[in-house]
Amino acid sequence: MKLPISSLLALSVLLAPSALTAAGVVNLFGWSEYVPQAVLDGFTAETGIKVNFETFASNEELLSKLVAGGGAYDLVQPSDYAAEVMIRRQMLAPLDPAKLPNLKNIDPALMRLPHDPAGAYTVPYMTGTVGIVVNTGKVHEPIRGYRDIFQPKFQNRLVVLNDSRELVTWALYAQGLAANDVTPANLAKVRPLLAEWVKLVKVFDSDSPKTALLNGDVDIGVVWSGEAAILWTQDRKFQYVLPAEGAHQFVDVLAIPAKAKNRDEAHAFINYILRPEVSRLISAAFPYTNPNLAARKLLTPEELANPASYPKGGRLETFRDIGKTATVIDKLVTDLKSAL
Amino acid sequence: MSADASAAVPSGPDRRPPGWRAWALLAPMVLWLLLFVVVPAAILFVYSFCERDEVGGVIFTFTWENYQRVLDPVYLRIFLRSIGYAGLTTLLCVVLGYPVAYYIARAGEQRRNQLLLLVMVPFWTSFLIRTYAWITILKQEGLLNGLLQSLHLTVTPLSLLYTPTAVVIGLVYAYLPFMILPIYGSAEKLDHALVEAAYDLGAGPLRAFSSVIIPLTMPGIAAGTLLVFVPAIGMFAITDLMGGAKVPMIGNVIQNQFMQARDWPFGAALGVVFMLMFALTYVLLQRRGARLAA
Repeated sequence: MKLPISSLLALSVLLAPSALTAAGVVNLFGWSEYVPQAVLDGFTAETGIKVNFETFASNEELLSKLVAGGGAYDLVQPSDYAAEVMIRRQMLAPLDPAKLPNLKNIDPALMRLPHDPAGAYTVPYMTGTVGIVVNTGKVHEPIRGYRDIFQPKFQNRLVVLNDSRELVTWALYAQGLAANDVTPANLAKVRPLLAEWVKLVKVFDSDSPKTALLNGDVDIGVVWSGEAAILWTQDRKFQYVLPAEGAHQFVDVLAIPAKAKNRDEAHAFINYILRPEVSRLISAAFPYTNPNLAARKLLTPEELANPASYPKGGRLETFRDIGKTATVIDKLVTDLKSAL
Repeated sequence: MSADASAAVPSGPDRRPPGWRAWALLAPMVLWLLLFVVVPAAILFVYSFCERDEVGGVIFTFTWENYQRVLDPVYLRIFLRSIGYAGLTTLLCVVLGYPVAYYIARAGEQRRNQLLLLVMVPFWTSFLIRTYAWITILKQEGLLNGLLQSLHLTVTPLSLLYTPTAVVIGLVYAYLPFMILPIYGSAEKLDHALVEAAYDLGAGPLRAFSSVIIPLTMPGIAAGTLLVFVPAIGMFAITDLMGGAKVPMIGNVIQNQFMQARDWPFGAALGVVFMLMFALTYVLLQRRGARLAA
């Protein structure tokens, strides 16, 4: 009899001695493609605590699942503005600093940001920016900001994130407004500019914007810095630029839901992630900006030289929750796109 | 033996009202429909009259607001465009699929089975993987451009991917088998004597085709149209992957409401309108079919 490999694997999991579960479990709800399996395995090997890992693909997915009361998670991985909503709604439990001695490794500049002003609920996991990546093999003009790339000469040579709030943010910056100043009046102000921009874009893609650049279908992108970092490692012609007008910085955090049952295990996991040599593994797999200063010392010069992972300067700002205005933004962008 | 047979005759199986045994056999199906069609549709209907709260939860109130928003020209235009794309896809599927289906139906039995297998082979691979394969073919430095340039048919690479043409190619590719199979079904049952009769009565090949073959295979065309048109309206993966998410279809708008915009009630209202449109398409096609049969 021939059994498919997957069912053999399933069998071996079922038959494996479950002695480890005696040491506890931690139920982690995190981003897909963001936590290396080696890190989860290393944690279990060392502590005996089993990690049940479930993934989501967007903050909205995480929020709707938790707001609906679904899932018994001990650890979640929201971005800044989603954590802000959760703190406001009292959905997170305060952390116990005594159980997190490795917290000292985190860059103080990334603690106590507006989403968690007291630094009581969240620990930065990875951070990054949204910036411009340029194929310098094809584009020879100097590129400094949004206004340089949203030009008629680059029509059909652009890939941008398929994310209404991001689009609106760039237009706000280009008009000298602040990223979180999302009011109906300001939206009306950026509308004509956005209408022009949308016409120039060839591809909207949030999941893997690097693909269109690698395939040669476009020459310029406005993408997550992690995507740009991977492009740079594949070919140095892909240069990353932080837009001069201002750029969105995101801080993805680890936090413990108020209803979590295994809080000790969750703290142990956070503290494990905060170790320099563990955090280093995450950087190697997902080259975003590592907030762990001790881990940065372990990175290779090449990793540190990656302009997308560690961009210089720039006016950075994190997103705040904008509540119901998200609906207005969605309608605005849908409207502009459907006019194409 | 004969006594048994005569005893069985008076109570023929289809004369009796369905007993518990019949219901027991139907139960899994009824349960399935109830759980996965009726209940979700009911939830969708209820949500469509609710409101979105600050974080994207659903507040249970009663409002027509979501339906008023559906009537906004922005969304009406997207509905119309989706219908346009689905209509074009259906038309191309009929034009491309009909000759294939007819040829398969007329072929010898062994050949017929081989050809049918070929129609169904693509289903052995995931739909997404097949869509990515198209990306590899159509991209700027892709297979098609490479072929055209090595044959010196074009000098600069053609922009094929991320255009409306790419979307239509993707849609036709995805739904063509759903048009071929039902048409094959009716073409196979086609009594060829009727076609010969048409020739005997002086009809040319065109006349025989339009007055005899087409009407006789109409049920297949109608079923294929339904199977292609309805899902093509709501498709969002192909517009995203092959169209570059540039031109939103109604499927993309609905998906956005449940993800990015976190506006479930509005998404539900769009879904309800969508279901009503499907029902309407179905009723119209059924009526047409009935009229043709009569």
